[in-house]
Amino acid sequence: MSYESVLTTCPYCGCGCQFYLQVVNGNIVGVVPDKTHPIAEGALCIKGWNAHVFVQREDRLQKPLIKENGEFREATWDEALDLVAKKLGEIKEKHGPDAIATLCSAKCTNEENYLLQKLTRATIGTNNVDHCARLCHASTVAGLAYAFGSGAMTNSVPEIDDSDVILITGSNTIEQHPLIGSRIVRARERGAKIILIDPRRVPMRLFSDLYLQFIPGTDVAWLNGMMHVILKEKLHDKKYIKERTEGFEDFEKVVKKYDPKTVEKICGIPANLLEEAARMFAKAERGSIFYSMGITQHITGTDNVKSVANLAMLTGNVGKRAAGVNPLRGQNNVQGACDVGALPNVYPGYQAVANEEAGKKFEKAWGTKLSREPGLTIVEITDAAREGNVKGMYIVGENPMISDPDIEHVRQGLEALDFLVVQDIFMTETAALADVVLPASSYAEKEGTFTATDRRVQRVRKAIEPVGESREDWKIIIDIAKRLGGKGFDFESPAEIMDELASLAPIYGGVSFDRLDAGEDLLWPVKEAGHAGTEFLHDGQFTRGKGVFSPIEFKEADELPDKEYPYILTTGRLMFQYHTGTMTRRTPALESESPNPFVEVNPEDAKELDIKDGDWLEVSSRRGSIKIQSRVVNIVGKGVVFIPFHYAEAAANVLTNPALDPDSKIPELKVCAVAMKPLTK
Amino acid sequence: MLVLMLEDIRKLVKKTLDGGKVDGVLGLWRENGRVGPHLFVKGDDVSMLEIDPKYNLASVAILALASGVKKIALIGRGCDERALVELFKRYQIDEDAIEFIGMACSVEQAKFCECDIPYPTKIQFGEKVKGVVPPQLEDVNEMSLDERFAYWRDVFAKCIKCYGCKNACPVCVCQDCVLEDPMWVKKGEIPPAFPMFHLIRAYHMADRCVQCYECEEACPMGIPLTLLYRQLRQDMKELFDYLPGASDAKPPLTTVLEDEKLEEGA
Repeated sequence: MSYESVLTTCPYCGCGCQFYLQVVNGNIVGVVPDKTHPIAEGALCIKGWNAHVFVQREDRLQKPLIKENGEFREATWDEALDLVAKKLGEIKEKHGPDAIATLCSAKCTNEENYLLQKLTRATIGTNNVDHCARLCHASTVAGLAYAFGSGAMTNSVPEIDDSDVILITGSNTIEQHPLIGSRIVRARERGAKIILIDPRRVPMRLFSDLYLQFIPGTDVAWLNGMMHVILKEKLHDKKYIKERTEGFEDFEKVVKKYDPKTVEKICGIPANLLEEAARMFAKAERGSIFYSMGITQHITGTDNVKSVANLAMLTGNVGKRAAGVNPLRGQNNVQGACDVGALPNVYPGYQAVANEEAGKKFEKAWGTKLSREPGLTIVEITDAAREGNVKGMYIVGENPMISDPDIEHVRQGLEALDFLVVQDIFMTETAALADVVLPASSYAEKEGTFTATDRRVQRVRKAIEPVGESREDWKIIIDIAKRLGGKGFDFESPAEIMDELASLAPIYGGVSFDRLDAGEDLLWPVKEAGHAGTEFLHDGQFTRGKGVFSPIEFKEADELPDKEYPYILTTGRLMFQYHTGTMTRRTPALESESPNPFVEVNPEDAKELDIKDGDWLEVSSRRGSIKIQSRVVNIVGKGVVFIPFHYAEAAANVLTNPALDPDSKIPELKVCAVAMKPLTK
Repeated sequence: MLVLMLEDIRKLVKKTLDGGKVDGVLGLWRENGRVGPHLFVKGDDVSMLEIDPKYNLASVAILALASGVKKIALIGRGCDERALVELFKRYQIDEDAIEFIGMACSVEQAKFCECDIPYPTKIQFGEKVKGVVPPQLEDVNEMSLDERFAYWRDVFAKCIKCYGCKNACPVCVCQDCVLEDPMWVKKGEIPPAFPMFHLIRAYHMADRCVQCYECEEACPMGIPLTLLYRQLRQDMKELFDYLPGASDAKPPLTTVLEDEKLEEGA
């Protein structure tokens, strides 16, 4: 007979809401939002309210599985772990460490991601470690690190309350970050102005003072256009530019070319609206920009991010309270996974693997030689697998068979591997391809930390014992590391793992479980034990010294519509589903709201195609085709279609283009060319 | 004053636990720097007990009792007491399973919740403060019908369909919620169609809303739900002389009136 209320962090988006899991006799029966938490403030979105439902589902993976003759059979942990170590060991022996790649998980804790990148780097000996941040904010990490020196949100979420102009672009904030979206709406009620610039008329349009619709893939053009107007009307912050930035002259030359009339032809934004938006933003006392995948998922993703940084610096809006550049991170712990080094080019704390000093530091700490060669990124890994250069993969809590561009290509890569081990909580489309499947534990069954989108490090607490024979990811990773002969994996608890991380990553220097458990709000950088953390970045000085303006020319998307494929496809998410649906599609209250995939078609296009709402279509790109029902609605502009990427039965990523941004290797998930053909049922 | 009251409550909780007549005391505690619900059992550190902020403990009591414990004490406010009364009536909690320890709300709390009865019938801690009438009530009532319709249409356009109002409500206890029935409310739409979603919920609250403010606090978009429900409470009072939570009379919308004829065969 027991009732317990366990404070933990939501496993869905990056808002980082905390709630109390309600546990009755070992069953999680509900959640109570934390009224004293600075983000949740006693509220949650529908996903948060249902975040307990998938945890104890009957179809959780409960035993290790080994594939024999194409069929999975149950195995003991020792058997499965021995096999994983043997196979990975053999591949390393025969083909070298770079023939192995690992994928970390933005769903797992900081401690788990730290261990997996350590295993990859120190035990296997390769930097081939990446995770889904590659697909969402790789260009943010690259672009903002270049412009400012830190690739994360400059401000904390509660500062929204004090912004007076908020520009939102490429973020469907109300649906994807509901508790940030609601905060923006409440800021408007207190007088803040909202500018929404997005190819889709997303719910935030109802709360916008200005809405500008543009053609996907033309972000640099309208950003340059806004800055053109600001410069022309002398609304820029000259003092700030002079004192805090460099590179302004070259930047100014480029921006001069982007007058609003020229931009109108590229983007489809009426010149007068662009001017109005430029003035409104430039006149802000505390102007804040919020963006997400609409900016990042392009072959010009890094250019787009740098352009956003340009706009913020031009108007003097970085390095002060409630003003800045705020990339909203999609996953509960995608910020943290990046922070702790689940990226092929950096160690924990964004210390470059190619840097000799950083290399020596980690060699000393981990007691082994380390490669100075940056590893492969996600799409490069599957390419290398197809080509036979990567032979073994260890995937933890990721589902590239739904989440990555050009799924057919991904399948070929994974099937070409000599050995694939997948560690997850459910039998995903990716796990189905594995040679060994290891049953992991969900957020509710372990201790650890997640880092929310605003650099907020927060505790995750164990509410129930691991389901069935499943094990906490950190324990599984340690078991594999030790079997591979790894040194430095003698951890008794996640708290000890955090202590090692804190000793190596200066931005986490002062983070400890003790401080978090005492209720401290710790936003990195937290330099040392006595440091209170950092509400907003670049106060007085940028992390890199001066902020850098970048001269950025507009470049067209990799694949433009043509006669054969006349529509632009853009993809995204829905309020009621989450990513590849592994959790939400097993949650009746969520699945019942949005059970079916659909393609959003503009009414004018529908008329030309002679289709009605609900008609079945075949949507094709150069890479594949899917059958899907239409939703005729005035949300996308003419010539543009939208498909949510959650649904395996009509996966948007069968169609998407894997072309990569050269700087950050993020694929162009937001623009590709498609054709549509009505199907007679 | 408040500190003294808190100390007194902690002492009583310890005494109650030591007395052994209840299996636990449901209240709030501060752990890990945050305050949330907790079922205190013998041996727990009562110095961790807190009384602010207000949480809805009547719903938590249902969960605590579901674990199999026979009887708990509950440190509650006026709204908790009213919610419990409604839950007793609706057979969600056995009246004998709860020992209610009543606490009056502070002026600030009453203002925050815009509560007109910020105290329980039996006050063991604190002092009765005056009820609060929300200033917007008059504003809304002075609007023309068209203006009022536009007002509600606009505030409900903010709804993101989190169902937080339903989930946080201590007296929303239906197994199958009509708000989730696609016959009444189309699935997957944000905002949900006006006025169905919100008027269905309002109608269902008419004879049960105990004015605890939990729905409004749980609303991420700040929709003034209790403003609407308060008017329904007033109507219930005028039409049926019934105030949810304040009487043990059967809810009038789920019973028949004395001289009302049932249809044949009904």
